[in-house]
Amino acid sequence: MATRKSSKSPRRAVVVAGARTPFVKAFSEFLKLDAIALGKATVAGLLEKTGLPRHELDGVVWGTVILPGYAPNVGREIALDLGLYDVEAFTVTRACASGLQAITTAAAAIERGDADVIIAGGSDSTSNAEIKLPQKLMHAIAPLALGKAGPAQYLQVLSQLMPITDILPKKPEIAERTTGEVMGQAAERMATRNEISRADQDAFAVRSHHRAAAAIAAGRFDDEVLTIEGTGGKRVYADTLVRASTSLEAIARLRPVFAKDGTLTAANSSPLTDGGAAVLLMSEEKARALGFTPKAAFRSWGYTAVDPADQLLMGPALAMPKALDKAGMRLADIDLVDMHEAFAAQVLSVLKMLGSDAFARARLGRDAAVGEVDPEKLNVHGGSVALGHPFGATGARMVLTMANELALTGKSTALLGICAAGGLGAAAILERV
Amino acid sequence: MSDLLVELNTKPWFRQAIKSLGLPLPSPQKLRRPRGARQARPLADRTAVVCLRGDLGDTLAATLPAAGANPVLLGVDAVPAAWRDAGEAHGRPAQHLDLAAEAPEDVRADALVLDATGLSDPASIRILYDFFHAWVGRLARCGRVVVLGRPPADATTPAQAAARAALEGFARSLAKEIGRLGATAHVVYVAEGAEGRLDPLLRFLLSDRAAFLTGQPWHLTARATPPPRVEHERALAGLVALVTGAARGIGAATVALLAAEGAHVICVDRPGDEGPMSVVARDVGGTPLAVDITDPGAAAAIVGALAGRPLHILVHNAGITRDKTLARMKPEWWDQAVAVNLRAIADIDQALLAAGAFADHARIIALSSVAGIAGNFGQTNYAASKAGLVGYVRAQAEALAGRGITVNAVAPGFIETRLTAAMPPVNREVGRRLSALGQGGEPRDVAELISFLATPGASGLTGGTHRACGGMFIGA
Repeated sequence: MATRKSSKSPRRAVVVAGARTPFVKAFSEFLKLDAIALGKATVAGLLEKTGLPRHELDGVVWGTVILPGYAPNVGREIALDLGLYDVEAFTVTRACASGLQAITTAAAAIERGDADVIIAGGSDSTSNAEIKLPQKLMHAIAPLALGKAGPAQYLQVLSQLMPITDILPKKPEIAERTTGEVMGQAAERMATRNEISRADQDAFAVRSHHRAAAAIAAGRFDDEVLTIEGTGGKRVYADTLVRASTSLEAIARLRPVFAKDGTLTAANSSPLTDGGAAVLLMSEEKARALGFTPKAAFRSWGYTAVDPADQLLMGPALAMPKALDKAGMRLADIDLVDMHEAFAAQVLSVLKMLGSDAFARARLGRDAAVGEVDPEKLNVHGGSVALGHPFGATGARMVLTMANELALTGKSTALLGICAAGGLGAAAILERV
Repeated sequence: MSDLLVELNTKPWFRQAIKSLGLPLPSPQKLRRPRGARQARPLADRTAVVCLRGDLGDTLAATLPAAGANPVLLGVDAVPAAWRDAGEAHGRPAQHLDLAAEAPEDVRADALVLDATGLSDPASIRILYDFFHAWVGRLARCGRVVVLGRPPADATTPAQAAARAALEGFARSLAKEIGRLGATAHVVYVAEGAEGRLDPLLRFLLSDRAAFLTGQPWHLTARATPPPRVEHERALAGLVALVTGAARGIGAATVALLAAEGAHVICVDRPGDEGPMSVVARDVGGTPLAVDITDPGAAAAIVGALAGRPLHILVHNAGITRDKTLARMKPEWWDQAVAVNLRAIADIDQALLAAGAFADHARIIALSSVAGIAGNFGQTNYAASKAGLVGYVRAQAEALAGRGITVNAVAPGFIETRLTAAMPPVNREVGRRLSALGQGGEPRDVAELISFLATPGASGLTGGTHRACGGMFIGA
């Protein structure tokens, strides 16, 4: 159970520190770093930065979406690569909410007393998505590989491999398995169905870039972002996708990418990204015993699901009210709102749902809307549209930035919302410790 | 049994060849049929053009966007509040268009719905022409037409009764005109007080599940006590159903659908068909029960198989033909047909009622027949028994309405089964083409209707005989 009254809680998991790699465009500086390498770099950076005695670390919980087929337990591979042989580790996958899932799983383990110190986060490398051979090809050639094959067997195998299109390797796509719909198409339909205009999406995207650029320029991320050595020894020390100079005029010229007369463009969608992010979680007593200053704790969290054929990325519109209910809070009590920006259209659709009485009545079974989100509280340092979205890392990036934001500003609460493939929604409420 | 003409008509080259040769061949449209169990949004992404001339607007607003349809409203000056709210809640904003203006080129209607509950006199039925004349050309293949009215019998003036009764003749005729598109037309008479029961029926009629139903009046009443809850998905979860004649054809298809909706199905067939019947039962995790329904101990065997669980759904599907002209008919042929098709049904119901085996809100569905009702050469025994069921369900429905139990008959038309596959080719071909849809139905088309009538949401339909016949030329 995630709901706890902080004062009565016997044990509370607290975020004491965090780190992430710069987020870079897929197939660029981090081309040679797979999810494991990115995770290793993230965790190594976090350990170095915090000076955590290694024997104090109990476990690693890692979120990854594009799992390497040769070693799908990414968390354990990271631990092994860092020589953390006696640190138990596992991997969770919940599409774009994987990073948050890793952290809430770790928090639950600490609060239950299973562990005192856990590093939780996520990483993904779109650049290293495996090109899969179709199962039909594998099944057809199995007799040749495993047995003693004669010419007749070879002919038989050939005859099974028609038509040729069935056995060509498939281009990896972010498509729903059940509906076949590509995520961008789902978001495009959400834009139409919720009447979100291109102009509103573009304005949101520009704001995301400008806020992220301002944060970078002000050094706000310096304490969060590690310097990583990329391809050819090039040192990457900041996010590379953020464009400070972008403007409404510049992105208004872009063509729609998911539908001919659509409204989603490369500029108002989150780009394919490589990166990793992690936070260091401890029980509050342990943190104080080790001399760490707790930054934030979880007041609640909630996960939800809808039929992917409905509105695939509407999840936060259900999960955020769920987390609020579990915390016994209202939207008005929240100081900061951080939403994963899969697409500007998706965020704007969810905001519209949260502000709708009709939506609240029909979908949440409550009389009045969850509420309007104040744009000044929302994604104060930009979001995935500007920073990029390494699937498994995004949730951890959001927890990291919001925990720091609470600590830096003295504000009390932050509400996180993430949409994910499969119609999933995730939300969490962080409170300052 | 596949229908060659339907398959050929899915090929562009064939359609082109027929057209250029000017051959007088019918071109039946391959019907779009659903996969799997009921979904929350059976109308996902379908465009529903709705013309409002009555007081069911709010009911439609509560149904169509939630079922996934994109509404286009006619006959209103602005989008009414109920439609705005529903659009916002489900991300299906309603557009509105001028009724007088020509239908826009780029709108293709998957469904045309006319709320004609406000019609008052013969002059007012002009809306049938105005709306459908403008839009029938925009109807998509396998589209749907539904006209909503109030029951003629409840009219307060003769002029109003005339306007209301007119809807049925219109819908039946339009069904024949749009049948070649694979499209269907219905009229739903909604009695006062039954508005709340329209939603499940509309979802069904507008969806692919009603592929082979057309040209029919549906009488929605508040007679049977409604169930406490109506679910759109897994509507039969936890319920116990019993299907007779479950070994093959319509029975086997019904078992599969009921089980897909979550019911535990007791599959009954005569001992001689135990083999195929037990395969059907095993596939869905049901209970096989080999018993001859004409056996005096049949009801006791059923009560035994129920093992104390209340029976929620009883489908009297078992039926036989013993065809012969009356002059040549032997007495045992008459007796056998009537015993299986009519007597066993009445006897089993009576015994189960006496034993208190039915749950409240139970559903009893008996298989009648279009040919039986309309009368058919060489089928005096069969038709007598099948027509008898029409009277039986009407009376039984009245008796059980207080407990919320509904009793309905389903009358299949030409269905591609073992029975019809054995017909002489020419008769079979004629049988197929004699319907508005120009083809025979599949067993699952009938099963879809049966399983709809079996749901808690079908509480507004009771005592009626509903055809699954593709709009047959003959018949009721």
